[in-house]
This record gives sequence, structure tokens and C-alpha cells, in this order.
Amino acid sequence: MSGDVDQSHVSAAEAAAHVLAAQERGEASVVVTVVDAPSPEHIGRHLLMGGGSPRGKLGKPVLDERAAELARAALLEARADLHELELEGATWKLYVESQQPVPELLIIGAGHIARPLCRIGALVGFRVTVADDRPEFANREWFPEAERIVLLDYQAPFEKIEIRSDTYVVLVTRGHKYDYDCIHQLLRLDARPAYLGMIGSRRRVRAAFEALLDEGCDPERLAQVHAPIGLDIGAEAPEEIALAIAAEIVAARRGGAGGRLSDEQRVFERVARRREDTSGGAGS
Amino acid sequence: MSDRELNAAAVAAAQAGRRAVLATVVRAKGSTPRAAGSKMLIGADGELVGTIGGGCGEAEVLEAARQVLETGKPRIVQVNLTDDIYSWSPAVCGGVMEVFVEPLGSLRPERSDR
Repeated sequence: MSGDVDQSHVSAAEAAAHVLAAQERGEASVVVTVVDAPSPEHIGRHLLMGGGSPRGKLGKPVLDERAAELARAALLEARADLHELELEGATWKLYVESQQPVPELLIIGAGHIARPLCRIGALVGFRVTVADDRPEFANREWFPEAERIVLLDYQAPFEKIEIRSDTYVVLVTRGHKYDYDCIHQLLRLDARPAYLGMIGSRRRVRAAFEALLDEGCDPERLAQVHAPIGLDIGAEAPEEIALAIAAEIVAARRGGAGGRLSDEQRVFERVARRREDTSGGAGS
Repeated sequence: MSDRELNAAAVAAAQAGRRAVLATVVRAKGSTPRAAGSKMLIGADGELVGTIGGGCGEAEVLEAARQVLETGKPRIVQVNLTDDIYSWSPAVCGGVMEVFVEPLGSLRPERSDR
């Protein structure tokens, strides 16, 4: 009996390894955990779901079926939900957590903005790739947090780097010409990144857009380019510019508007108005 | 601390044969410090990786973790943070969290238990 239980029991460590392995492969994964059950031997059981068939048993075939259903639905987007199921007159609580592949922040140009951006990007949960044609800048010492450092040729930058739908691209090369070469080639790829931003003053960016339109680039795709890059936080120092870029990327990833919450929600204004209303009513 | 770093730390601990407990926020209602899915790894030696609240209710979870290490039995812990709402401590927060606390266990490659 206990032998059977052990065979099918997946530990929390194995669940963690499952999630990591899926992320390495760029795949989504789900872990279903029994967190409450009518009898204690089921609590802490895991069912793992990834590319293939589920692994691990929760202790009841009907429960495994329901868990697999929940897991399949959760593969589609990142979730962390607690489900209560009624089975044979008892309540079971299943915790379903799914992980999507870790998005990549691709920083092209290994200069003074790239360094702090690499650190912030890693901090907020991106796999960071830094690319440049200068090995004296694009190296481990300069970018300890980067997952990958690529030496590339600006004539053909995307031969070495794949662009996926979860790639966030930042163009901050040492010269506007290289930024232009990169964006020009990127916009001709079939693959569309999740985010594409390019540094530059309004004047430079304007000239680039004009040239790209002349080259026949799709205006719809150009309209989605974030240039000049970053949120308006008055950034001046390279670290501040990196923060403004990272904030825009997080907003793009999470669907944020990028404004001030205090402006949007006006909590104090509402509190003050309510007080005025009530005191006015009581006084007259 | 990203999810990936925490999972990597969990796998590394299991590979090294270190005993540990994993605490996961499985439900968060109201203004809790961390959302569902936040995790903390608590080593038998007291080492902490990640956070599920940085002060808010973490003491209760650490106590539960000690028990889980002793008994090997996973359990769910309700952490009520609503009492703290008028406190001016840096850990101020409201809401209710349900935290699942379980032994990390071991990694068993294919050979499993013969």
C-alpha cells in the first residue's frame, strides 16, 4: 500500500525541477497540488503537466481527471488559483499554478544604458540577452546578470538571435546608424517581438521613421515601435533612463497604462470631497 | 527573487540533500503583501530564500514550517493580516492569506524507490 503511494507521489522538489525544465525548453508548465482533502494522505500530492501527459497521482482517479482538466486550461496563461471541488460528498482544495516561459529582454548595444538595464531586467524577471559587436563591452564582467551575451555583426544581427513573440527588444547601440540597421532588419522579419523600443531624440527618431516609411516598412508595425523609448519620468542619468525603459517594458508586459496611480484614482480628492459634503450637511 | 531563482534554489537544496520546507501563498484576499503564487523556501538550518510577505504573517508561517519539518505532514495555514491595518510598523498590511506549507522532499530520478 505505502509502496503504491510512494511510486506515484511527486515531491515539491520534483515539481520545482519540472517547472524549471519546461522554462529551459521555452514551454509552459502546470503544477496541481492538493492543499486540503478529507483525509491527510492526499494532502501535498502533486500532479505535473507540461508538453506531454500528466505525471503524478493525487490518489483518486476521478480527482486526477479533474486536476488534469484544470491543468490543461491553466497551460494557456499564467495562473495561481485555488479551486474547491466537491467529490463524493467531501470538499477538496486544489491549488493550480502555471508558469509561462520566461520572457527574454534582448538589449542590442552594450553601452552605459545597457548595463543598468540588464540588472533591472534580470531583477524584474526577464532572461536578459546582451548583444554588441564589441567584445570589450559585451562580456561577463560588464554584464554579470545577463543569461546570454552575443557578439554580432550589425549587418546581419538576426542571423544569430531569434526573435520570438515573448522577446522584448531594446535598441541602444553606440550609434544611431546601428539602431537604424537593426530596426530596419527586424521589421522585415516575420516574427514580431512583444515589444520593440529604440532610443533617440525626437529629431533622430523622426528621421528614422521617415526613412523606414521610404523603405516601404509596414506603417502598422512602425506605429507599435516605442521610440523615443521609455516612460516620461524625467530620466537623465543612464541608470534613470534604464529605469524608464524597464518601466515601459513592464507596462507593456502587464498591460499597464504607465501613468500615476494617484492621478488616476484620486483617492485624496474623494476623501476630501466626502468630508466637505458631510460637514456641510451637518452645519446647515 | 524570480520564480525561476526560487525553483532553482529548491532544486539545488534537494540535490544537496538539504532538508527544507516550501511555503506557497495559495490564496490572497484583500490587501496582502504578496499575491498567490509567492513562495518561500525555509531550510532546516533556518536559511530563507524568497519571501511571502516580509514580516506580515511570516512568523506564523515560520512556526508552521518548523512543525512541518518535524512531522513531515504538509498543511495549510491561514494568515490573518487585518489586525495590523492601523499599525505603523513597516510591515503594515491587511487581508487574509492562505499559505500551503509542505516538505520539499527529494529528487528521484527515474530509478525511484526500488
